[in-house]
Amino acid sequence: MKDTPLTPKGAEPPPAAPRNVPIATQRWVLAGLLCAVILNVGHVALWCLPLATGAAAWRIWAAQQPSRLPGRAARIAVVVVLTLAVLISFRTLNGLDAGASLLVAMAAIKLMETQRQRDWLIVLGTALFLLLAACLGAQSLWLMPFYAGELWLLSTALYALGAGETPPEGRSLLRSSARSLLLALPLAVLLFLFFPRLPGSLWTVPKEDEAVTGLSDQMDPGSIGKLIQSDEPALRARFDTALPRREDRYWRGMVLHTFDGTTWRRAQRNFGEPLALEFAGPDYRYQIILEPGTHGALVALDMPHGAPSDTSLGFRNFDDQLIASKPTDSAISYRLESSPRHRNTDALPLPVRRLDLALPRDRNPRSIELAHQLRAAAHDDHAYVQAVLDYLQNNGFEYTLTPATLGANSIDDLLFDTHQGFCGHYASAFATLMRAGGVPAHVVTGYLGGEWNRIGGYLLVRQSNAHAWTEVWLDGVGWTRVDPTAVIAPDKLHNDMDDAVAAADGSGRRAHGAPWIAATVQVWQAMNSWWQDQIVNFNMERQLDLLGSLGLRDRDYEALVGILAAGGTLWLSLLAWRGRQSPQGKPRDPLTQAWRILERALKRVASPRAPHEGPIAYGERIAGESPGLAATLRPLARQYAQLRYGATCTTSDLQRFERAVRLFAARIRR
Amino acid sequence: MSLSAPSRSRFKPRARLERAVSAWARSRQGEDHAPLTLQSRRIYILPTRAGLVAFLLLFVMFLAGLNYQNSLALLLCFQLVGFALVTMYECHGSLNGLTISSAQVESAFAHGHGELQVGFYNAGSTTRRSLRVRATEVAPKFFEVAPHSACLVSVRYQALSRGRQRIDRLQISSDAPLGLFRAWTWLHMPLEALIYPAPIRQRPLPPAVGLTQHSERERRLSGEEEWAWLRPYRDSDPLRRVAWKAYARGAPLMVAHYDAPAGAQRVLGLDTLHDLPLERALSQIADWVLECERRGESYALDLKQGSVAAGHGLAQRRHCLEALALYEPA
Repeated sequence: MKDTPLTPKGAEPPPAAPRNVPIATQRWVLAGLLCAVILNVGHVALWCLPLATGAAAWRIWAAQQPSRLPGRAARIAVVVVLTLAVLISFRTLNGLDAGASLLVAMAAIKLMETQRQRDWLIVLGTALFLLLAACLGAQSLWLMPFYAGELWLLSTALYALGAGETPPEGRSLLRSSARSLLLALPLAVLLFLFFPRLPGSLWTVPKEDEAVTGLSDQMDPGSIGKLIQSDEPALRARFDTALPRREDRYWRGMVLHTFDGTTWRRAQRNFGEPLALEFAGPDYRYQIILEPGTHGALVALDMPHGAPSDTSLGFRNFDDQLIASKPTDSAISYRLESSPRHRNTDALPLPVRRLDLALPRDRNPRSIELAHQLRAAAHDDHAYVQAVLDYLQNNGFEYTLTPATLGANSIDDLLFDTHQGFCGHYASAFATLMRAGGVPAHVVTGYLGGEWNRIGGYLLVRQSNAHAWTEVWLDGVGWTRVDPTAVIAPDKLHNDMDDAVAAADGSGRRAHGAPWIAATVQVWQAMNSWWQDQIVNFNMERQLDLLGSLGLRDRDYEALVGILAAGGTLWLSLLAWRGRQSPQGKPRDPLTQAWRILERALKRVASPRAPHEGPIAYGERIAGESPGLAATLRPLARQYAQLRYGATCTTSDLQRFERAVRLFAARIRR
Repeated sequence: MSLSAPSRSRFKPRARLERAVSAWARSRQGEDHAPLTLQSRRIYILPTRAGLVAFLLLFVMFLAGLNYQNSLALLLCFQLVGFALVTMYECHGSLNGLTISSAQVESAFAHGHGELQVGFYNAGSTTRRSLRVRATEVAPKFFEVAPHSACLVSVRYQALSRGRQRIDRLQISSDAPLGLFRAWTWLHMPLEALIYPAPIRQRPLPPAVGLTQHSERERRLSGEEEWAWLRPYRDSDPLRRVAWKAYARGAPLMVAHYDAPAGAQRVLGLDTLHDLPLERALSQIADWVLECERRGESYALDLKQGSVAAGHGLAQRRHCLEALALYEPA
């Protein structure tokens, strides 16, 4: 009997059918992965984007022909090849860039074998990690919408994967994931603000040096030119007092003493206590938020009265440099007081004099010759300084960011051949001439200028404001700032650096167009600075400051944990409360609504309807219990049963019933 | 007879733990009767394996953010933690408030699979997705309930041996929306299935009484089955007796009705099966019942404890199989 429908079967249950991943869901995941790769395109290997695009396109094509997935051997070969490619690109598998590239490679390989839901989850997890890598790589404000969009895309893909074989349409998926992300946001903010941060790293991570632009701790003629190309912010200063005048906006960074003919360097050792100073002119009190990358120098408006008020941050060196106590690999902020005029009351100690008079032997003979000539003609140091400045002013020197290359005798080449250079060149030449003429001199690097941001209320100094000038020792006055570039390009002193560059190069880089553009740019800059200060650079100190500003006296981990516990509980209970509300929503059906009103009203006079009681039986029971209501209740119950279970139910019937119920309910309540 | 899981999983710690927990749930929930609406008191939730892996990944992300002292990475990580917790509530919410409107179990043959039908009603305004209902160790079934609507889900259960089988517990679970968490509830309803003996053919059909040998043979030999008249199709009619040719010509669905001679019937009983063990004998009778039904013949059951008069059709089949299922030797 072949066709017996039921034959005895073993107790073995059939295996659960694997949940296939529909094409629409696959596309969500692939889109999420591709966008994650695009967000990383700035720092992963060049081949990553083509690889990911190719793998995704191939995957979409292969989805139509299921048997096309490659075999194990082919996959292992691809793993080896791609790992080698990462190794060749970065010479390591460690670090952010190599790691992100490796992640892209692994996701591409995973796409070759993704069939089940689990495999797609892995691809999605990889995409999330790529988003993390993008966050680690770049934190500019303008990227945030992209990061948020990518997060939304990935959570939508998660929802699509979770919905199994019949996912809802894309719009509803997008809505669900957006709702969940928004609900999660309060907790994320709470954790962000109050989750205890660490004072340092758990383990050291390789820092990519070239990523940071900033003052170099040495100066060769090219180094400042490189900086001037960068629009990155260098520091922001908020003034308690009035803003310094434009010609006083010299931001002192590093003091360079030793010169080998091409490069100026900092002093190798400390030459004792700083010299006593006497200040004149207006006092400026201000706070500086300094971006990282200054090689341990704390930039200050020339000339600071002393080290920052928080002495743990840094100290003042013998040459009035402010040196940070800790490496400045993240933004720091400190308060200072400066005055534009100052006077040294002490004599210059001999070791420092010797340091600031030293010149490399056998270099720049023509310049030294020139110095001797000018020195012989001048009757004192003041006159000599003026003579050298006059020489620079009157001999056709040109300010340009693209000067001709200088040889081994760089000062000779500049003064007698090329006649082209920018601040670094002229500071270097001027200091050399001074030293050759017997006047102690050193080069100071820092920034000149600053742009007032009205919205943020701060002065923004960019890397492009980088500048170099000199200080010479004049007896009776002490260290005096001399900026030889100001003689060659006088505009530079009065205008922004940009204008000087624009004048020199014949092109401006930033738009100085309509006022609304300038206003927009300022708003954007203010937002950017807020973002950098408050979010990106939020760390343990800021966290403890925040606790203090919340009025908590104990600024410790216990307070943080307390806030976290309270806030987390609140958030969870809000979620739970919301969960109670939503599934039991108001019934849509007006008939049910009307009946509910009736039942609720009748609860006052009788026990509620039992689950097994139909409307008529319920009406009869209550009519029996309270005969006063019977006359109205009986027909109402019948009418409900008729409307609910009868053949027709017109809108006018419904309205009549509703009205009758409301009247009846009002009567009971009275 | 109470349901016990097949022996191969008796020593698995996970199955044991689940049984222990469900016994505890049984003792605190008591017996359930449909209709009932799930409340959070009886919904349990745990992360799935995917959920555990996801939390491990989040922890790695967190460490990376902490170590690089990167606020943005930490913010991303915290946002994802919140997201996962929100989906935990959604998972819970996909069961919370779901109404089980009915549950009934159909009989099945021993060692086969039976059907269990559970009715659901979703009073909420969102679709409840990725729901599963599972009776015994048979593969669960996925389903979803649209907002403000009801659905009836059939799920297979593993039938054990002949007799009464209690479906002690039903598990309704959901891993919506992401599969990171799984919420479930246990229902303990008075569901009892009659398990018929498994039909096993060992002997030919006993001869019909009251039907001449000749006509029986003639009918066999003629090759094509003869029928006396057609009557309209009824739900219980076997499909093989539908007059398809007439249907193809445009007639309504009709069923061939054999004009069996009055009193021609087979009496199925244990008399001729004394040499078989009882269960084998009952299995043989069950097979005969099915065979008679297939042929559309009239048959009677003659057991010592309970007999069923001659007849055929679904009701007759059910009466006979039930008698077989409940048969106990004196």
